[in-house]
Amino acid sequence: MAEWTEVNFGPQHPSMHGVLRLRVKLDGEIVKEVEPIIGYLHRNAEKIGELQFYCDNMIYFDRMDYVAAMNMEVGYLEAAEKLLDIEVPERAQWIRVMMAELNRIASHLVWLGAFGLDLGMLTPFFYCFKEREKILKIFTEVSGSRQQLNYMSIGGVYQDVTDEALDHIRTFIKEFPKELNKIESLFVKNDVFISRTKGIGVLSKEMAIDYGVTGPMLRASGVEYDVRKAQPYLVYDKVNFDIPVSFKGDNLARFLVRVEEMRQSIKIIDQTVQKLPAGPYFNQKAKKPLMIRLRGQGEVYARTESPKGEFGVYLIGDGSLRPYRVRVRSPTFKNLSVLPALAKDQMIADLISIGGSIDLVFGEVDR
Amino acid sequence: MNILTRLQLFFQITGHYASYFLAYIFETIFFLIFVVIALIAMIYIFRKYMARLQLRIGPNRVGKFGLLQLIADALKLVGKESIIPKLRDDFAYKAAPYIVFIGLVVGFVLIPYGSFYWIGSLTITHSNVSLILFFGAIAMMPIGEVLAGISSHNKYAVIGAFRGIAKDVSFEVPMMISAVALVMMDSALSRTPLNFETLVSTQFIPFGILQPLGLFVFMVAMIARSSYTPFDLAESDSEIVSGYSTEYSGMRFGLFYMGMFGSIFLGSLVVSLLYLGGFNGPYSSYAGFVYLLIKGLILVLISFLIWLSMPRIRVDRFINFGWKILLPISIINLIWAGFLTLGVIS
Amino acid sequence: MIEVKEPKRIPLIGSLQGMYTVFKHLFKKPITVQYPEEKAYTPARFKFRIFLSMDDCVGCTLCEQVCPNLSIRMIVVERNNPHNKRNLYPQVNFGTCTVCRNCEEICPTEAIYLTHELETARTRNNFFYSPEELQKTESEVKK
Repeated sequence: MAEWTEVNFGPQHPSMHGVLRLRVKLDGEIVKEVEPIIGYLHRNAEKIGELQFYCDNMIYFDRMDYVAAMNMEVGYLEAAEKLLDIEVPERAQWIRVMMAELNRIASHLVWLGAFGLDLGMLTPFFYCFKEREKILKIFTEVSGSRQQLNYMSIGGVYQDVTDEALDHIRTFIKEFPKELNKIESLFVKNDVFISRTKGIGVLSKEMAIDYGVTGPMLRASGVEYDVRKAQPYLVYDKVNFDIPVSFKGDNLARFLVRVEEMRQSIKIIDQTVQKLPAGPYFNQKAKKPLMIRLRGQGEVYARTESPKGEFGVYLIGDGSLRPYRVRVRSPTFKNLSVLPALAKDQMIADLISIGGSIDLVFGEVDR
Repeated sequence: MNILTRLQLFFQITGHYASYFLAYIFETIFFLIFVVIALIAMIYIFRKYMARLQLRIGPNRVGKFGLLQLIADALKLVGKESIIPKLRDDFAYKAAPYIVFIGLVVGFVLIPYGSFYWIGSLTITHSNVSLILFFGAIAMMPIGEVLAGISSHNKYAVIGAFRGIAKDVSFEVPMMISAVALVMMDSALSRTPLNFETLVSTQFIPFGILQPLGLFVFMVAMIARSSYTPFDLAESDSEIVSGYSTEYSGMRFGLFYMGMFGSIFLGSLVVSLLYLGGFNGPYSSYAGFVYLLIKGLILVLISFLIWLSMPRIRVDRFINFGWKILLPISIINLIWAGFLTLGVIS
Repeated sequence: MIEVKEPKRIPLIGSLQGMYTVFKHLFKKPITVQYPEEKAYTPARFKFRIFLSMDDCVGCTLCEQVCPNLSIRMIVVERNNPHNKRNLYPQVNFGTCTVCRNCEEICPTEAIYLTHELETARTRNNFFYSPEELQKTESEVKK
């Protein structure tokens, strides 16, 4: 239509997360068409994965969803260990669950702060990042890095958790729920926030399933589906937690589901700290020089629950030292595909609000 | 005794006409210095206050406690290249920031400041209709913003300008009705209720206590006038880049920026004058100005708190809010003020 | 499964409560760390700079193979080392090093290791560190 205004909500424009570019057609204040244009952060991670050893792929998976690197590592290792037929010691599995859940909280905190910024709330962002900083401190204590960790390795983890780190985690899980309640109350008690999120961007159950939406967005639309329960990996069948579900499907439901997920993660971390078994943290079969001499044959698909949704890794090994094919099913890419449908015939402000509620991290969409 | 006569007495040695001439010039200079210092202090307070609420430190590198940071920023803005769009509407584009800034300065001229120490009254304008003049002056600022949005040939700026118009229309009617309620009440107390100074000085108790609804409406209107976060529709950074000021840079942008902070300060002063008693208080003939500043500063801090803790409202909801909530409230307030005027005060 | 519900709130009062919560932070201590003057807490495992002990290096090229970004290249350095007959030593390009610590992990003689040294500002002309430079600390390299 000629009389529609075409506007970019582009990569340099401050409104969108990361490097998402939206080509939006506007009829005054009403959004008529949205076309997400992606690929500005494409780094060829899948192709690079075919060129190097199994253990080296870890750092590229760290950089996929860079705010939830541990979850990406867990996802890749689920596939790689299945392909290479390597067992993981019990202690390493518990450590992995602990770290993955800590990183889930960190990822949700980044989303929470950024969602506030999208809606114009400046302050909660800093409270969220203050809490996230504590998690990053734990990661530094354990792995030696803050974000791009390269902590887990094929057959376990590179370094054992220290007692100091466990102490940090214990104080964190003691203090965090209170802080989370405070941050949540800043949002949900605010009338303007409720008016910006309640009933906006309603994603129906059928539509969510049709588009392949996973993760908190799917659960906010009333589908009780979580890979951690549906197909437990690591030791998720030995810990006790609930799946938060909402039947509303709007922005507020997504917000509440994510906040409740953080509480459940705290519950999981609490159990892992208590039940952490003694023993080796590394499979000797994959240690030292052997870690680049691992050969895989066959093909394997493993799925895990990353903070954004179902993260699947598909690997083919042809018996050589390097994988023949690496393919990633990234949750945010699928979740983003519903944005044009949700934002159609809404206002500009709602487009921003819906875009914020999807939890976009562009390292993962573009790969 | 007021500041003009004090200055005239000081320059008396030069003769009658020359002394008045010099007094007017120096009054203007003092006033402009006051406005600029107030704006710089406002921005400094905002940055420090925001930083502390967000558990940060704020500016602390330039000068002691970062006090010179704002001067450094101002120098940076002046020294910056002004990038101007090619397809602009030239005159409107260049005039718009000055319209906003002049509206702000004229607004500052027209409000009464009360008395201070031996100088006496600091009020500059002694007009019998200064309240009307004041509302006229602050109505200049949206004109500048709309001109800026339309003339800069940018889609975001146009959307921002349209949002600004929608916003201004929906809050100014309730604001004026609540101001009318004040004038109505004051007409029983003084013979010149449209004179800003008598309107304030005849408040036997602050009108905000008598008209809490009017205070609410006027406060909301002043927040919307200075367009910070709950109502910053016209320049919402996460939606339409920077709204009407998208294409501005350098000192022209600085004028918009100062206009925004200045209107927060101006709005706070006006609310404290009209509804919270302004410069009234014990020893007000010596310390009235101090009372006004303290009340204004407290309101400024509250405004900043609202700014930092509220999300942005959607444009259609703001228009609904203006016409369906603020307007009925202000009419109820008008009726209530009428009852008070007839039954209690007279 | 638990269903999340919208919490109860009182209109307007809820917003004021939020504002009060924000206001209370005014009296809390800032969490900013003013970096060059005060150092942030960094645990012992927080490693950055690659070091090399040339006497221990056997020139097995495992670190070159495992490096995911090809930051490590083996070069020939004429040196009298009975363990290292081929005289191959790693040269590190810190411009592409992502500090994945794989080289430290794989080294069979622990000749290549990372240390806690963090303040290593470099210009783009001297990203490449020769084996001799890798032995020295950062302050010595700068001289």
